Amino acid sequence: MQYVTLESAFHRLHPLTKLIFAVVVVALAVLTSDTVMLAALVGAVVAVAAAGGLARDLLRQVPLLLSLAVSLLALTVLTIRSGDTLGYLVPPAVPVIGGAFPVTAGAVDLALAMSLRFAAMLFAFQLLVISTQPRDLVHVMDHLRMPVDYTLIFLIALRFIPSLQLEGKRIHEAQLARAYNPGRGPVGRIRGLFPIIIPLVSNSLGKTTVLGLTIDLRGYRSGTRTPMRKLAPGRADAAGICCMGLAVAGYLAVLVV
Amino acid sequence: MTPDAGRAIALSLEGISYTYPGSESPALDGINLDVRRGEIVFVTGPTGAGKTTLCLAASGILYHEYGGTLNGAITILGKSARDYRSMAEIGRHVGVVFDDADAQLIFSTVEEEVASGLENLGISREEMRRRLRQVMEATGITDLADRAPHTLSGGQKQRVAIAATLALGTEVLVLDEPTAELDAEATGAVSALLRRLSGEGTAVLIVEQKLGAIAAIADRMLLVEGGAITREGSPAQMIQDGLTKGGAVRPTAPAAVPPSEAPPIISVRGLVHRYDGVMAIGGLDLDVAPGEIVAVVGENGSGKTTLVKHFNGLLRPTKGSVFVDGLDAATAPVATLARHVGLVFQNPDTMLFAETVEGEVAFGLRNIDPGDPGLPVDAALAEVGLLHRKAAYPRSLSRGERQRLAIACVIAMRPKVIVLDEPTTGLDARESGRVMDILGRLRYEGHTVVMVTHDMHLVENYADHIVRMEQGRIVRDERTYGEEPCPKLCSTSPLRAPSTASTRSPN
Repeated sequence: MQYVTLESAFHRLHPLTKLIFAVVVVALAVLTSDTVMLAALVGAVVAVAAAGGLARDLLRQVPLLLSLAVSLLALTVLTIRSGDTLGYLVPPAVPVIGGAFPVTAGAVDLALAMSLRFAAMLFAFQLLVISTQPRDLVHVMDHLRMPVDYTLIFLIALRFIPSLQLEGKRIHEAQLARAYNPGRGPVGRIRGLFPIIIPLVSNSLGKTTVLGLTIDLRGYRSGTRTPMRKLAPGRADAAGICCMGLAVAGYLAVLVV
Repeated sequence: MTPDAGRAIALSLEGISYTYPGSESPALDGINLDVRRGEIVFVTGPTGAGKTTLCLAASGILYHEYGGTLNGAITILGKSARDYRSMAEIGRHVGVVFDDADAQLIFSTVEEEVASGLENLGISREEMRRRLRQVMEATGITDLADRAPHTLSGGQKQRVAIAATLALGTEVLVLDEPTAELDAEATGAVSALLRRLSGEGTAVLIVEQKLGAIAAIADRMLLVEGGAITREGSPAQMIQDGLTKGGAVRPTAPAAVPPSEAPPIISVRGLVHRYDGVMAIGGLDLDVAPGEIVAVVGENGSGKTTLVKHFNGLLRPTKGSVFVDGLDAATAPVATLARHVGLVFQNPDTMLFAETVEGEVAFGLRNIDPGDPGLPVDAALAEVGLLHRKAAYPRSLSRGERQRLAIACVIAMRPKVIVLDEPTTGLDARESGRVMDILGRLRYEGHTVVMVTHDMHLVENYADHIVRMEQGRIVRDERTYGEEPCPKLCSTSPLRAPSTASTRSPN
């Protein structure tokens, strides 16, 4: 997850507008557990991304979201019995253990709601990150009087996501070149982690001192920043805020009714 | 009185001794050093001599960020480093380029990276844009402006890190191996830029292993050994008459081996590789004869690493074919190719994870043969001179030892082809020599060695076959068997190989 250089309509919005968009989506996702409303919210975020030519970047998260949904479903089915019974993990016809682990509507609903909520939040946050240069976000957070330490934590987190991905890939390649073949499937994935995690963590920790020093030496604690690009909200931002206002009003109205 | 004596002292270290927390021996021991405005001081010395610690001391970092025991006085622009409130305040006067370029890149585009410091200086937007343009042009990264820094090659990252620091326009520059991964052209551009800045009054303290273009522009050269300055003088004088006695020894060269009559062990035809639609290799042919040392050279980002990653299947051709030791590297599993091609990555820390040196070497052997890997481990460690460190924790080894361990991990698996990406980067000349001697012996035993390198001294002294790449294509492909680069050394070298050596199987 990283900034994508593109001249999209969403890119051109003021960073504050995009930040508000992300916060609004997160808030709306938290407000309800209704799966239809959450699905509509996810659909709206994907539609906004598609309008900005960023849908493909968002959809890269689908495998992650699907595996999360399956895990949540397994967890809720095993721990929650609420509502109608839709079926059984072990068919009733099986002797002795038949009928074990009933799958209830409540468990499926909860898993679905949590998955959709997470998808909405992830997509909104990703839209913000891939369309906004980190320094623009830093300027906005400065304007919002966020403590500089929090801003820097955010900045470092953003920087580490692609770096960790790349470093992990490099280490994985290095171990593959040593004929390492942990196998496929979940067991293989878990076995494959060990020779990767240790160098990844060691190398990343080794970089933190230099990273912190670089931030200090470039004056990021000085508190007096002049953005090279003037960041002024325009008509598109006004229109965006209006659309968001209308969407929020409609969403809340449906929730109340 | 030297011509510099009239200039004000920008940086002063008086009687500096420093011991890291948890360490018993000092990393710096009685350092006295002045760097005047407009002066370039070049520091060199063996790996682990204390050069990086000297940079940390000179930039005040030891005072503000590290524990340990520090004695002596550090003065930056007439004020004690202790009296600066923080590194942020020192950063307004001192620009630092660390030896790990990767860790200094924070932002998501190159332009943003270079501009980031400028935005905190309180200067006008016009001045920011002027400086940004100027420094990006001078460091040759204008065409990388929209690229994400983490996707760049090592040398390109280094140029971005240099540009981000130089853009700050500080009065003092402390640079720790800033050109280690740069090609000759980029190093030349950086040295010209530093010369210009020093002409404008900037004080420059620069640590480097390479005694090339940067040493040539320096006013003074220091040799650091065992945490102390052991020699000092003009670069020309020191290089000419004695630096080599102090430990920075150029490696001796093995003899060149005539090309084999055997079919090529690596055969590349019409290779094209695209990353996300971007052309990295634009159609090339290459034959590598068994038993030769091949140097793949070229500017940063020219496709060298991309090419060699095709040899062991880490990258597959977008178009064209790659055959290695009779295997189709476009389709053969990486684990199968690993028995035939060993790849030593540029940074040994990319692969080290085991508890012991022995365990690290055994890892690869177990992957290809789950039986007892005892004997090949000892043989490989003996080959690289690390048998006595068998029980040590790999990450506690020195940089040079870790590099040799990475080579041991690969040679233990007895691949016919050994590929090394920048095998000597970050190593002093003595360690470079040890690594190259190992490669020379391996070649003598019949292995084929392919090395990606920027070090033209290595190329001149070692390569039998030079492949120069530019923008994803081979622009020079020639063998140097007829040449004798170092007649005196080669004539007495124990590594001189018989002409039949190149066809001998390593197995």
